[in-house]
Amino acid sequence: MTPVLEATGITKRFGAVVALSNGTLSVGKGEVHALLGANGSGKSTLCKIIAGTVARDSGSLRLDGGDVSLKSPREAEARGIALFYQELSLVPQLSVADNIFLGHERTGAGGFLDSKQLRADTEALIARFASVAGSGFTADAPVSRLTPDQRQLVEILKVLAHKPRLIIFDEATAALDRRQVELFFTILRELKAEGVSTIFISHRMDEIFEISDRITVMRNGATVAAFATSETDRDSVVRSMIGDVAIRDRVERTVPASTGAPRLQLTGASNRRVRNVSLALKPGEILGLGGLQGQGQSALLQGLFGALPFTAGSIEIDGKPVRIHKPAEAIRHGLAYVSGDRGRDAALHGRSIFENIASATMVREKLALVWPRNLKPRFEAAAASLNTKYDGMEAPIGSLSGGNQQKIFIARWLATDAPVLLLDDPTKGIDLGAKADFFALVRELADKGTSIIFYASEDAELLSLCDRILVFNSGAISAELSGTTLDSFHLTNAAYGEVA
Amino acid sequence: MNALGFLRSRLWLVTLSALIALFVVNWILQPNLVTPNVLKSNLSVFLPVILVAIGQTYVVLGGDIDLSVGSIVALVNVVTVSVIAALGGGVGGVLGGIAAGLVVGVACGLLNGALVALLRFQAIVTTFATGIIFGGLALLVLPTAGLPVPAEYWRTYGSSPLGLPVVLWVLLAALLIVALIAGRPFIKHLAAAGGLRTAAFQTGLKLAQIRILAYALCGLFAAFASLSLTGETASGDPLMGRTLALASISAVVLGGTALAGGSGSAFGSVLGALVLGMIGNVIFFAGLPFDYQTLIQGLITLLALAGGVLVARRN
Repeated sequence: MTPVLEATGITKRFGAVVALSNGTLSVGKGEVHALLGANGSGKSTLCKIIAGTVARDSGSLRLDGGDVSLKSPREAEARGIALFYQELSLVPQLSVADNIFLGHERTGAGGFLDSKQLRADTEALIARFASVAGSGFTADAPVSRLTPDQRQLVEILKVLAHKPRLIIFDEATAALDRRQVELFFTILRELKAEGVSTIFISHRMDEIFEISDRITVMRNGATVAAFATSETDRDSVVRSMIGDVAIRDRVERTVPASTGAPRLQLTGASNRRVRNVSLALKPGEILGLGGLQGQGQSALLQGLFGALPFTAGSIEIDGKPVRIHKPAEAIRHGLAYVSGDRGRDAALHGRSIFENIASATMVREKLALVWPRNLKPRFEAAAASLNTKYDGMEAPIGSLSGGNQQKIFIARWLATDAPVLLLDDPTKGIDLGAKADFFALVRELADKGTSIIFYASEDAELLSLCDRILVFNSGAISAELSGTTLDSFHLTNAAYGEVA
Repeated sequence: MNALGFLRSRLWLVTLSALIALFVVNWILQPNLVTPNVLKSNLSVFLPVILVAIGQTYVVLGGDIDLSVGSIVALVNVVTVSVIAALGGGVGGVLGGIAAGLVVGVACGLLNGALVALLRFQAIVTTFATGIIFGGLALLVLPTAGLPVPAEYWRTYGSSPLGLPVVLWVLLAALLIVALIAGRPFIKHLAAAGGLRTAAFQTGLKLAQIRILAYALCGLFAAFASLSLTGETASGDPLMGRTLALASISAVVLGGTALAGGSGSAFGSVLGALVLGMIGNVIFFAGLPFDYQTLIQGLITLLALAGGVLVARRN
């Protein structure tokens, strides 16, 4: 039987970066096809190409055996391919019916809205999912009054209204709890029975084995394996995801022996994106946060720093309970936060290097007036210890390269002598040379006794730098890796939800 | 659904109740209110605000705002009277002048829309600036008030074909246009663009086109308002319509349209404009100085906004 979709040898470059070197995927009619891969393996790019939001450089894309070139999402939609968005495409003020048919309104004579037809079509769609719709789910209800899972259902109905043959669900279950996932799977099976094919991207291995018919694995921009789900097991899938890399590729270091209370102790912390996280951080320890992107690692760091305050749980620093509700409090308690998104979270644009460094010192030491002459030597020493290249303290921050800017933002905290350093994917957009400098520096700081929590989206960075890794999945810690389990096999396996 | 929830989705009902209450008070203060002539003169006074408010609704519904409507009214007025004069008056001249005025109104709206939707300038600052530009152009076209329109124009505007005054016909025509627009997919697209722009974009709506069309409609209704005012004043005035921008926004808010966009109706704005007008009447007949009208108008707009914010917080 001809597959509904057949992608072969698809490539895509973004500037100098090869996002996709060989995207190959074949999806049959009525098949639930799971697409797996680590961060940056190219699965999202491949999906975007299939959905027409990104144009491919080369390779062939065939629908029902015929070559197609999809130049826009609209074109893909007309061909029966739909990409499922996560709560991004609903207008809260509009009704369920208006949202489902937005842009495809039912019109009658003279192009006027046909509200009867709209209502009939919407109710027919809702009727198919009546068992899971819940109360208040009517055609006229404004989306703003619906519960999150009802909104998810509206998203699905919106996709189904175009009668697609292939639906791409990119992490559709990421925000759902177990009961909602069951509901979602009920819908998926219903679609399957109707002959609709789905591409399913998920970060939970048990879900993938529960729902999928086939599995395609991607690594470093290329398709590396395809399995029939019933003929494979987790270990084989995980092994094909990590490839033949050396299982242990780290430089050992010994954590300075500590006595007494941990530097930082977090108990049962929750906020909008993390739930019930507990951890203890020793002086001089480098603690890694691992897992797939967006599983709550950044939210945990922002929670500690008071930018996304915890709503539950307690924080202790050097054995004393503290309350942190805003960054200024975190800074005064000796926490430092370095974000990978320098432009958004760190830079005072258009201001001098001096001002960019001084901001944290001013908050930490409650300075109302600043005498540049007194502070400058301190700042220059901090910047020099990082091998920062800059013209002078008065030069604007924008005159530095990304790597040197990041060093300035670390110098900002070195100048405050912060004993706890929170690193939130700090090497984003930094060249390799600067990265090596940066890692050497982090180790040096740790050796001197600074406690560091380090989140990186690249597993290799975590494995080479950290003494211990907490793996996150859906906002909670799913595993702790240390000693012999500190390798990419265990890390990947844990990222996909199986406790190692 | 509780009573509050019921009202929340039908804010115009609150406005309608206020309108009825004001009407009753007005009637008590002014016993001859319900006579054809008084009603007609009232409507003549309210009509420009009603028309501008209708146009403003579309822009606000789409999540934007148009502060230049007052200047568009002035520019349309001076262009209309100048073109009529240049064509030598007469029925042909009047029709030519009206056509020129409508074209100018729509052109101003298109310019606003292009700046905001294509070049992505901020709506509030952009239309503030274009308002100054349109006002300057009006002074350029006609430096001082004057230049009367031919009698054909204002006589027709004051007449009563088929037993109903022209001002009422204009209002009915405007309501018909409102109904026609409300029945088309455009209004849903506009509400989506104003409701959650990212969602509308993800859905594949042509946002720029939608927002520009809203501004063009706003310009068109400002032109209608200007032509009505011209029928009333019977001459050109480059400073005409100065208060209309804020009055129209007050009317839109009173009519239950969210200033943030996404929900509301032009019908509600008509009620809002009538409420504003009746407030003016009540102040006048209660013997209060006329200056109080803008003060109270401002306070009521603030209250309506506060109510909207409270409703949003409860949600």
